[in-house]
Amino acid sequence: MEKSDVRSLYLLAAFLVCAYSLPFLIGIQFGTVRADEQWFAYLATVVFAGILQGGVYAMFAVGLTLIFGVMRIINAAHGEMVMMGAYLTWVAFFYLGVDPLLALVFTLPIAFLLGVALQKVLLNAVVGQPELTALLVTFGLGLTMIYVAELIFTTDFRTIPYAPQTVQVTRTIAVGQNKLISFVMAVSISAAVYLFLKFSRLGKAIRATALNAEVAMVCGINVQRIYLVTTGIAVALAVAGGALVSIQFGFNPETGVVYTLQAFAIVILGGRGHYVGALIGGLMLAVLENLVSLMIPNGTAAVELAAYGLMIFVLLIRPGGLMGVKEA
Amino acid sequence: MATHEHVRNVLLLAALAVVLAVLPPALSVYLKSFVMFTMMYVVLALSWNIISGFTGYTSFGHVAFYGIGAYTCAVLVADHGWHWISTLVVAAALAVVVAVAIGYPVLRLKGPYFAIAMLGTAEGTRVVVTVWDSLTHGGLGISFPSVENSLETYYAMLVVMLMTILVAYIVGHSRFGIRLNAIREDEGAAEVLGINATAYKLAAFALSAMFPAVAGGIQAYKVLYIDPPSVFFVQITIAMALMSMLGGKGTVIGPVVGAVLLYSAQELTWVNFPTAHLIAYGLFIIVIARFMPRGLIGFAIDRGWVRKGMVH
Repeated sequence: MEKSDVRSLYLLAAFLVCAYSLPFLIGIQFGTVRADEQWFAYLATVVFAGILQGGVYAMFAVGLTLIFGVMRIINAAHGEMVMMGAYLTWVAFFYLGVDPLLALVFTLPIAFLLGVALQKVLLNAVVGQPELTALLVTFGLGLTMIYVAELIFTTDFRTIPYAPQTVQVTRTIAVGQNKLISFVMAVSISAAVYLFLKFSRLGKAIRATALNAEVAMVCGINVQRIYLVTTGIAVALAVAGGALVSIQFGFNPETGVVYTLQAFAIVILGGRGHYVGALIGGLMLAVLENLVSLMIPNGTAAVELAAYGLMIFVLLIRPGGLMGVKEA
Repeated sequence: MATHEHVRNVLLLAALAVVLAVLPPALSVYLKSFVMFTMMYVVLALSWNIISGFTGYTSFGHVAFYGIGAYTCAVLVADHGWHWISTLVVAAALAVVVAVAIGYPVLRLKGPYFAIAMLGTAEGTRVVVTVWDSLTHGGLGISFPSVENSLETYYAMLVVMLMTILVAYIVGHSRFGIRLNAIREDEGAAEVLGINATAYKLAAFALSAMFPAVAGGIQAYKVLYIDPPSVFFVQITIAMALMSMLGGKGTVIGPVVGAVLLYSAQELTWVNFPTAHLIAYGLFIIVIARFMPRGLIGFAIDRGWVRKGMVH
């Protein structure tokens, strides 16, 4: 590693220490931090729940980082794709009576095909264009998706009652069964995609294209096909994320926007295009968010600030993120 | 450009000013506010164009300055009893200060990173305004004392729009503007030629932040009620970018044409198709960005309808 690289890593570490201690300091100020056993039990529960939530965040952020890494396109409609996944699951659950996890068996192929179609119709044209074009195209897509969803499903909040029992993990930590199931699913899907990228021929070709599309082309990789597969996988990951979100939280057509920004923050924190970085970033963001909501009164607005703050400061301190991805 | 062409353009602008100045008595209340909001979008699109069109740094969070202006005006008028016109000066100054403070670190980022950082800045500003309720009344928003103001705000917006057009025109035809273009085309090469890119980018950013803040202040006074979601609305940024792109970003006339066309189209679809207009808007964004990234002017130049050097 170069010297400046090491220095920015130290700076980033220092910033993260500050970011994680800030909720505690504010909590002490407001008296929401109590150093008794009951409070430490809360804290442990919250951190644990954050890690579980982070697994799901990481999974849909990986979709964003894949598109960004391979095509240098910022997909501003990623959160809306998560939202679409949530609604697909909801329809399957309430109208067809299908178990939310079983529903993935047919929602994922649908999502993959939608991704391929999206790439063919819209995104192929914006690869290599200035970033504004891709941002506007995907933002327009996101808006269209939101309003179509409002037309079909109205703006009411929906929830899917699924595995609502609480599980006693240790003596002090208890979390919802749905959260545990989501985490396990998210980790297995992320691991499957990781293994696919790492070891399969197609996965290697995707990574090669991300590294350098021209050289990949010279090596006989059909870059156009790689783009199709990449967007397909990314949309499928977002939809899978939506399914796992839908069994834990309420959602309406507008919730997607928040997921887009969280995914941005995670991708930046991890290092753009970096798979493992996105996984670590997801866990870190979710834990920070949960700490903020535990300790800062009037927390919902402050929780959002966690994502924006992380994103901006990481960009300024170390644009390559935790993994120090170099600009290609 | 030859001197007589400048004279012609300034005369055209003066003619526009006169027409818009004598128009209000002939307009209904609805049309008056329609023209005012059209002028507001001209201001927003032209300002955005100074940093993003001329300099090539895509500001995806420019609504932050608009919101700051709106809140400056609202807080000073509603809570401190200022006259609303004087708050606009404070709004402009505050926007410049914020732009320099944010721009100094953030303008070091390039391409998509700058765009994302600005998006985060705008959303972050919205959250800060929401949380800081001792100053801003938080999510409740701020109401103004109710007065009839459609004429004052109309003329205020007219003056601001003329100033914005004039400034954008001067920037577009000065050495300053040419240097901004040089930074857009190749920042490294521009620096090698002795252009202090950081200073130029900061100046362009501050300039492009100032007018939206004033427009935001006027708008707040016009509608008499603001809250964080309405004045830090992401779609206002999108509108600025889309209008500039529709007309032709990097030119002076482009964003003006784009703002007038897009705002009119939006208003027409909103009136005629109240449910479908948002979907239509989303699809419209996709179509413009996908098929016309160089805007109407690029379209016209490609077909030889106008000479390349003719429009600025």
